[in-house]
Amino acid sequence: MPEVMPDLEQDQKSKPKSEKEPGYLVICWNDPVNLMDYVTHVFQTVFGWHKPKAEFHMKQVHNLGKSVLVRESLEKAEHYVHQLQKYSLHATMERDE
Amino acid sequence: MNLFRVENDRYIFQLAPRERDLLVTVLRLYPVIPSAHQPLSKSAVPDKSSQKLLDDALAEQRNENRKWVDDLLSNPRRFQEKDDSVHMSLSAGEIEWLLQVLNDVHVGNWILLGSPEERLRLPTTRQEAAHIWAMELASLFQMELLQALKQSS
Repeated sequence: MPEVMPDLEQDQKSKPKSEKEPGYLVICWNDPVNLMDYVTHVFQTVFGWHKPKAEFHMKQVHNLGKSVLVRESLEKAEHYVHQLQKYSLHATMERDE
Repeated sequence: MNLFRVENDRYIFQLAPRERDLLVTVLRLYPVIPSAHQPLSKSAVPDKSSQKLLDDALAEQRNENRKWVDDLLSNPRRFQEKDDSVHMSLSAGEIEWLLQVLNDVHVGNWILLGSPEERLRLPTTRQEAAHIWAMELASLFQMELLQALKQSS
């Protein structure tokens, strides 16, 4: 199976930090309660991702304790955190320093 | 509970009558997660009103979900008796609602158990047993719904 890399990493590689707009990282944190298939489903639903990408981030959450899902403007980051919390996932937004 | 068929964009689930009763019992527990439970940010919130906006939006969502659950449980067309089983009809959007509601019961009961990091141990009190029962049952129905979505895609 081909390895799926998140778009976020590609974006960070392609743009120097000075050129990037101030932004917020939407982060999903691990917890021992949410089902792995459920988390994958929520990522697919909220972000419209294909399953391999959603599974990549779900496994990052599970194995590394968190995953940076997207980097967005304040309004969009708030929107995504709201969507993820609607599904009772442990998600927050943090300023991208 | 299993997916019986998909017709006209509606998912028809087949349940044993006992399963229907258990699903209804679990849904009646909603909502379980305390309001204003989740922070918008672990560090500084960019605008203090943002947290309030999030809390208000989640509270509104909870009210809408509650109304939908009430409709699901009170509308006789939702659960139709068929021979020895019961058919439950849901649209794709309603499955998303149901997943949210079931996960609220699942996660909410885990919170009420003290958010244990390790595997659940055997309950020592009647209350703990009730929380574990609700958690396990909600997750079982969640898995069935996710399986149905997988089957139909």
